[in-house]
Amino acid sequence: MVGITDYSTYLPSYRIGRDMIAQQWGTKSLGGIKAVANYDQDALTMAFEVAWNMVERDDTTLSHDGLYFASTTAPYWQRASSSFIAAACDLPDEIEAIDFGGSLRAGMSALRAALNAVVAGANQKVIVAVADVRDGAPESLEEQQFGDGAAALCIGKEGVIAELIAHGSRSDAFLDEWRRDKDSAVSSLGSRYTLERGYIANTVTIGKHILELARLNSIDIAHVALSSPDGRAHITAAKKLGFDPARLLEVPIADGGLTGVPLPITLLCQALDRAKPGDFVLTIGHGDGADAVLFRVTDQKPKVSRIPASASPLNIPTYSIFRKQRDFNRTATEEGGVMSNVTLEQEERQNVRLHATRCQKCNTVQFPITMVCVHCHNRSGLDEVRMRRRGTVFTFTKDYLYNAPVSPVGVGVIELDDGARFYCQLTDIDTEAIEIGQKVQLTLRRLRDGGRMHHYYWKCRPLAVTEVRSNQK
Amino acid sequence: MESSLKDKVAIIGIGCTKFGDNFDQSYEDMAAEAVFQALDDAKIDAARIDAGWLGTFSPGQGYGKASVSLADAIKMYDKPLTRVENYCATGTDAFRNAAFSVAAGIYDIVLVLGVEKLKDRPARGLASEGNHLYQHEGSTAPGLFALAATRYFEEFKIGRKPLAQVAVKNHHNGTLNPKAHFQMEVTEEQVLKAPMVAYPFGLFDCCPTTDGAAAAILCRADMAKQFRDDYVLVKGLGLAVNTGRPWFMPGHRFTGFPVTQAAAHQAYEMAAIKDPLKEIDLAEVHDCFTWTEISNYEDLGFCKKGEGANFISEGRSRLEGDLPVNPSGGLKSSGHPIGASGVRMIYEITTHLREQAGARQVKNARLGLAHNLGGLGAVACVVVLGQP
Repeated sequence: MVGITDYSTYLPSYRIGRDMIAQQWGTKSLGGIKAVANYDQDALTMAFEVAWNMVERDDTTLSHDGLYFASTTAPYWQRASSSFIAAACDLPDEIEAIDFGGSLRAGMSALRAALNAVVAGANQKVIVAVADVRDGAPESLEEQQFGDGAAALCIGKEGVIAELIAHGSRSDAFLDEWRRDKDSAVSSLGSRYTLERGYIANTVTIGKHILELARLNSIDIAHVALSSPDGRAHITAAKKLGFDPARLLEVPIADGGLTGVPLPITLLCQALDRAKPGDFVLTIGHGDGADAVLFRVTDQKPKVSRIPASASPLNIPTYSIFRKQRDFNRTATEEGGVMSNVTLEQEERQNVRLHATRCQKCNTVQFPITMVCVHCHNRSGLDEVRMRRRGTVFTFTKDYLYNAPVSPVGVGVIELDDGARFYCQLTDIDTEAIEIGQKVQLTLRRLRDGGRMHHYYWKCRPLAVTEVRSNQK
Repeated sequence: MESSLKDKVAIIGIGCTKFGDNFDQSYEDMAAEAVFQALDDAKIDAARIDAGWLGTFSPGQGYGKASVSLADAIKMYDKPLTRVENYCATGTDAFRNAAFSVAAGIYDIVLVLGVEKLKDRPARGLASEGNHLYQHEGSTAPGLFALAATRYFEEFKIGRKPLAQVAVKNHHNGTLNPKAHFQMEVTEEQVLKAPMVAYPFGLFDCCPTTDGAAAAILCRADMAKQFRDDYVLVKGLGLAVNTGRPWFMPGHRFTGFPVTQAAAHQAYEMAAIKDPLKEIDLAEVHDCFTWTEISNYEDLGFCKKGEGANFISEGRSRLEGDLPVNPSGGLKSSGHPIGASGVRMIYEITTHLREQAGARQVKNARLGLAHNLGGLGAVACVVVLGQP
């Protein structure tokens, strides 16, 4: 049996009301709020967040052998986000890491590729981690519609909670929504024709095809997860396919937004959360055609949700702060020269994989990696270990001097659960609420740009209450 | 320590520029001004100098990186000159090395110069210590010391008020020191209401970035009388180095600086000081931030750990207190041109021991202490000076 063995979604912490955006431009508000990435997040770091969630709670002995990343907003044209995410998850170098992109259905393409690889026996356990941080042009409808997010699935053969029944794909060069290599914002041709000829035609055709393949009727499908170009058209498509609207997953336009690549996979995860054993779940993702996958939920499905609760959302108080956060990494000055790849390579195990040193004699765990124990001065029998990524704030400051788009910046010394100390910025946090003893999780963030590179490093964010209880590595 | 340095080295000349925004002076201008003041004070010519030590923390564009900056400033060529850099303890460490050379009998007369030109940099404040590409991202000097202050607040249940009292005292002392960066009284309320820089430090909790230079001429103690009667003797020296990244140190408490304790212990041992509070008449300590001065009281043994806030609140470190601390106004008012600061402290102590400190003169000053602290407790240097 091949299928989904784990799933998770991620919503960034910041929120902005659409009324505020509409007010800025004197346009009509779509209502509701959109979830937006912090200035130190991009598609890579958000995909890491969900992928790590999966790696952290995996308690089997079989290691992941594939990490497929998909996004239309990958931070590099050339440099694999998947390879970096795999390293930050401390996965072995033997892993197959692939970046998918180029279309809104890139995530579904990655999912189908993972299913095919596991069915063929080429891979045993593949993480599909997808994320997007999409921009509509200021004042455009898309600026209001889009939201940021990430989702991940683990595809394998053991502990399958949703079994693969059928999947398919269709390609369509029809022009509806695009972004050129030199554009930062998405362009689209919004019209009834565009919707009918583009999104609806493709979604309905692939949906019918999958039902035929599986020899099922629309009445047999318990959960229908359809991506949507506008938050509405998926309802029309569902009707045309004969689905009961009550079985259609709600596209979270009112409380999130159109997330792009992760949207269909996020809906699939939400469907899995509420599904009962035996339920069929159909997912269709659109973009230059459409991809569809049909799963049947098994009796191995855990009763508790696999989607971690996010920490309390943080409201962005003004449109100008939203714009400033949004544009920070794009417009930041390129500080520093080109980093030596000798240093980057020497320090990869500590700076990317978060390895530390454990002394065999006194058990002290210390960061960065060292030749001599800081506690007992032992210099034989020091092991390189994976450092714990959770801990508590030991001390902190709120720094108004450090250059960042928002001030102050929280900076803290973290006492990790293995006793190691880590020094980093606190992010996704109301700085007024920082306190000693607060529980935090290390999280990969885009630190800054410099030397024609994006620099990623670790910060920490508050732990949500439910995260505190779950297992960790 | 079999052979002590105590009473073997004398200070016979001192010089110091006005500390401040010295926009009209270059690095070399300040260097020359401080050195020639010191030479004039000792009434000797540069030709008598056998060797020199230059302390500069942060080289700028075209100066301060090597000892040539001393050679070219005063056109002193073909002499053994060395640049010293040891974080914010640069100035006192340059002095310490110069003193060693005299005590060792290698040279008779040597020069120590500390210079720093910070006001020609594009960045605000100071870049972080260490400057690791990733591991220190987010660090600023106030942000690092604030980590310790926050922890100290937690353990000893104090708030910002005693910190403000340090600022009030050092600003008052600064009004009496014409060479200080600031001559400006502040009130406790002003300090507490000032804009935040890095919690819990507001603007008046932080020393400024400053330009300045200071110099001293040292010679063999047995020669000192040839130059002047009111020479000053080196009584004790101590230097200690600890981790440059305490924020990664498992179990580190952040409530004080073991390096200061270690450096003070060395210096007190050499100077045969048993009870620093009773024996030391005045101290110039490293008050880069107001809280640092409170920790310094404790780490230098003026009071017990956790009692520093009382030491300031009870007025014991004021000019008229039982151990006046930072009569110059400290780094808080004098400013902190890093490499120059330690030598400026030695200038200040020497001035008091010679009873030439005017309005801020500490009464009956016979034994004085200078203390530099670099990094967040990475390095500390303690110098004890006394009357012959």
